[in-house]
Amino acid sequence: MRISRLLAERILEQVRAGYPLEVCGVLVGEDRTVREVVPVDNRETESPRVRYQIAPEDLIRVQREAREAGREIVGYYHSHPDHPARPSETDRRVAAEGLSDGVIHVVVGVAEGVRTEATAWVFHDRDQAFAEEPFDII
Amino acid sequence: MAIKVQIPSPLRSLTGGAQEVQVDAADVSALIDGLESRHHGLKEKLVDPDGNLRSYVRIFVNDEDVRFLDDKKTALKPGDTVAIVPAIAGGAAS
Repeated sequence: MRISRLLAERILEQVRAGYPLEVCGVLVGEDRTVREVVPVDNRETESPRVRYQIAPEDLIRVQREAREAGREIVGYYHSHPDHPARPSETDRRVAAEGLSDGVIHVVVGVAEGVRTEATAWVFHDRDQAFAEEPFDII
Repeated sequence: MAIKVQIPSPLRSLTGGAQEVQVDAADVSALIDGLESRHHGLKEKLVDPDGNLRSYVRIFVNDEDVRFLDDKKTALKPGDTVAIVPAIAGGAAS
């Protein structure tokens, strides 16, 4: 996955500002290149410190705007406050049950609201698992 | 005039890469069957073995979620746009 330093920093700023809650958003671009970062509200109401949800209504809006710009949704990102920067079993299970084949998922660990680590993953239906993807700053 | 169906990228391997396909159908249930007849394997991605829409798949008709309309019985008319959208969720807790 390729992303500019500016866009990567924008994700990290959102993660730190949202701590100790999980934050989330959509990655827009083409293929494995992120051209735009779209923060969306975490719609999880019961456990937003350890769970996130992106509302389909938000996705429809982002998808429409992306198409109008000649781009598409290439992936999603969310934070793991005080948890590792890797997909959890919950992340894997939801991806397996949903439509995530070939889609990028960026997971940002954030410790004490300050120290961040970002990793990128692609879910593969054939393996029912995430495979780590290079996180290239361009 | 057919119904336009927007296909999300994880399902495009089943539509030959097409981002949008067209299907003649009078409701969402018939639309899913129509998709399956042309693009084998799509139906099982959208509905569970009991025939219900999968919990992590949302179908929108003209920007309205069919769960808040008539679910699979939601009526369609020529010119409608249907979007298949993944429900994205997860989080640190296992």
